[in-house]
Amino acid sequence: MSLKNCHNFSDFRKLAKRKLPSPIFHYIDGAADDEVTYARNTSAFDDVDLVPNVLRGVENVDLSTTIFGKKLDLPFYLAPTALQRLFHYDGERAVGKAAQKFNTMFGVSALATVSVEEISSMIDTPKMFQFYFHKDRGLNTSCLERAKAAKFDVMALTVDTITGGNRERDLRTGFTSPPKLTLASLFSFATKPMWGINYLTKGKFELPHIQDHLEAGTSTNTSIGNYFSTMLDQSMNWKDAEKLCAQWGGHFALKGVMSVEDAKRAVDIGCTGIMVSNHGGRQLDGSRSPFDQLAEIVDAVGDKLDVICEGGIHRGTHMLKALSLGAKACSGGRLYLYALAAAGQAGVERALGQYKAELERDMKLMGCTKISELSRKNLRFRK
Amino acid sequence: MSLEDNFNFEDFRRVAKKKLPAPIFHYIDGGSDDEVTLKRNTESFSKCDLIPNILASVGEPDLSTEVLGSKIDMPLFLSPVAMQRLFHHEGDKASARAAEKFGTFYSMSTMATSSIEEIANTASGPKMFQIYIHKTQGLTDNLIDRCKSSGFNAMCLTVDTIVAGNRERDHKWGFTTPPKLTLKSLMSFATHPMWTINYLAHEKFQLPNVSNFVKKSSSIAKGVMEYINEQYDPAMSWNDAEYCIKRWGGPFALKGVMSIEDAKRAIDIGASAIMLSNHGGRQLDGSRAPFDQLEKIVDAVGGKIEIILDGGVRRGTHVLKALSLGATACSFGKGFLFALSAGGQKGVEMMLQRMRDELRRDMILLGKKKVSDLNKDNIAFRD
Repeated sequence: MSLKNCHNFSDFRKLAKRKLPSPIFHYIDGAADDEVTYARNTSAFDDVDLVPNVLRGVENVDLSTTIFGKKLDLPFYLAPTALQRLFHYDGERAVGKAAQKFNTMFGVSALATVSVEEISSMIDTPKMFQFYFHKDRGLNTSCLERAKAAKFDVMALTVDTITGGNRERDLRTGFTSPPKLTLASLFSFATKPMWGINYLTKGKFELPHIQDHLEAGTSTNTSIGNYFSTMLDQSMNWKDAEKLCAQWGGHFALKGVMSVEDAKRAVDIGCTGIMVSNHGGRQLDGSRSPFDQLAEIVDAVGDKLDVICEGGIHRGTHMLKALSLGAKACSGGRLYLYALAAAGQAGVERALGQYKAELERDMKLMGCTKISELSRKNLRFRK
Repeated sequence: MSLEDNFNFEDFRRVAKKKLPAPIFHYIDGGSDDEVTLKRNTESFSKCDLIPNILASVGEPDLSTEVLGSKIDMPLFLSPVAMQRLFHHEGDKASARAAEKFGTFYSMSTMATSSIEEIANTASGPKMFQIYIHKTQGLTDNLIDRCKSSGFNAMCLTVDTIVAGNRERDHKWGFTTPPKLTLKSLMSFATHPMWTINYLAHEKFQLPNVSNFVKKSSSIAKGVMEYINEQYDPAMSWNDAEYCIKRWGGPFALKGVMSIEDAKRAIDIGASAIMLSNHGGRQLDGSRAPFDQLEKIVDAVGGKIEIILDGGVRRGTHVLKALSLGATACSFGKGFLFALSAGGQKGVEMMLQRMRDELRRDMILLGKKKVSDLNKDNIAFRD
């Protein structure tokens, strides 16, 4: 199997599974507890069907959308994900360049393996910095100021990782960052020599945004769940979020809002966007899927801030369904991570090209030429 | 595989299957008829989703709750289960000590393999006694009076076992108590020598709570179903239940109430709680799952009587869903029995530890400080 055989999400997933040592593959692929929410994130889209219109003259389709004051050529962007150089040695460099090529937004995690400065010197496409509220206030200020100086356009505060989710696949494989060889994982690393060679020879593994502040940053092997539970400030509250929003002074979003009440409150503290998200099913299993909850959120706050649907998206039609319900844009992590693991920048570009082709094709089949033409009239829910 | 490698119910079930002779494993694992209700008990939790609140600065959540007159440290306790010494040679003593360690209820079955007095001397945590009304006159009074003088805290009367359910796996495997060697089961006992050695090397299998009254109870090998049909009084009525409540004079639950009408009647006769249960899917197959019925029961009798949800609970999030709908607490049988089979007292402790960790983590992720903060707003049902 090679890149040219990858035609969709699950093809890229298969190729990634071949290329990655199993603890790393399962870190991406896994979710919390019984992974009920993870599965629902995608299957939720099947409860609603698209209803096309015909004879509309659709030779030119415009997929562009504007969020956080920035015009993107696509109605979706690349959600921030941690540790990308574990998945491919080019990591954020590959993903950033691919985002630039398609002129969409690139989300950079606080736990990124390439610095905001380098990313910003490399690409000029819109950029979002994803912020974790650490106990270490010096670290928080440093992240904020560096992202500001690097001219990032949006700050997104993650609010659904107050404590680490119960990712049982990581418990079984012994996944840590940086990877630690255990007896159980040794075999897996040994059978994927290319990953190992690239990991060891293509530059040291670093977490440039946090490593100066934390011992746990790079030198100690830690699991992500453990990192959330020990390093992040569990007392984080609405005042803290409001202060950060003011301190940032630009477009500010809360990532992981699920309740209508919280969405309204996000408006009150000055947010310009929210990501309706359950962290890809990796935190609270049994929690609601973004698409199931989307309509309620849009009805409550859709005219006051940008509502972004994040989670479970595998297809252009999934995006069209979310946009029809009123989301301003979609985003995803696994959406491009398997492609990154499969083939670096070329992989991400191939994946983005396919989503774009699907969107164009599906818009034409729907009888729409602009994203703004999508509405709930295009949808029927099965009861 | 050490006990620490068991992260959830399924893990413990797998180990128990390895350790137990097949007739015994299937006695625990099986339900009645086609096991439709057994399956639905757990599935029913997936028809609704939790909706977290963010930025709630939860800190350390308080998992304690008050049920049946006792304050317990977590909203989940051990259901009464018969013949625990068959599953591990430590039997009821193991479950009672583990429950004590976690500050929650241990429940003793009338058909326990330890005596009321023995357990009272073993563990000082909250204890409930589960009573079956036998045809034999005097046994009921005897049991109630012994529980009283031994300091048991609560009592429940099982009302869903008027006749035995059709447990076809037991027919197939020839399950009897005490275990009888048949040609069919011989292989299975022979291939689990550790279980057999422990079973034979430790104290004699008996049913000390009833042995003085029911001659057949421990000397003659017989199926549980045969025992139930011979010994339990099928004429048991509301008057008998009321009699038990009066004679006991303390916190009292009816175990196996499913209809609204019966729940209301439980209040009338002075019960302090109902256990919403179908006996773990082991009695009437095709009957409703406790979680499916919970909302209606809460609407009818919530606030007037405590509602304990018993059936299908495998995860912390299942407990939180039940509490959000208005249950006072949950209990489980299979949930701790496989852990008991896998590792005796240490196994049960590990399972309770896992459940407490999940409850704590999930409360934090839900943004709730104490269990009384849970309510219907945390939950959305899918249409």
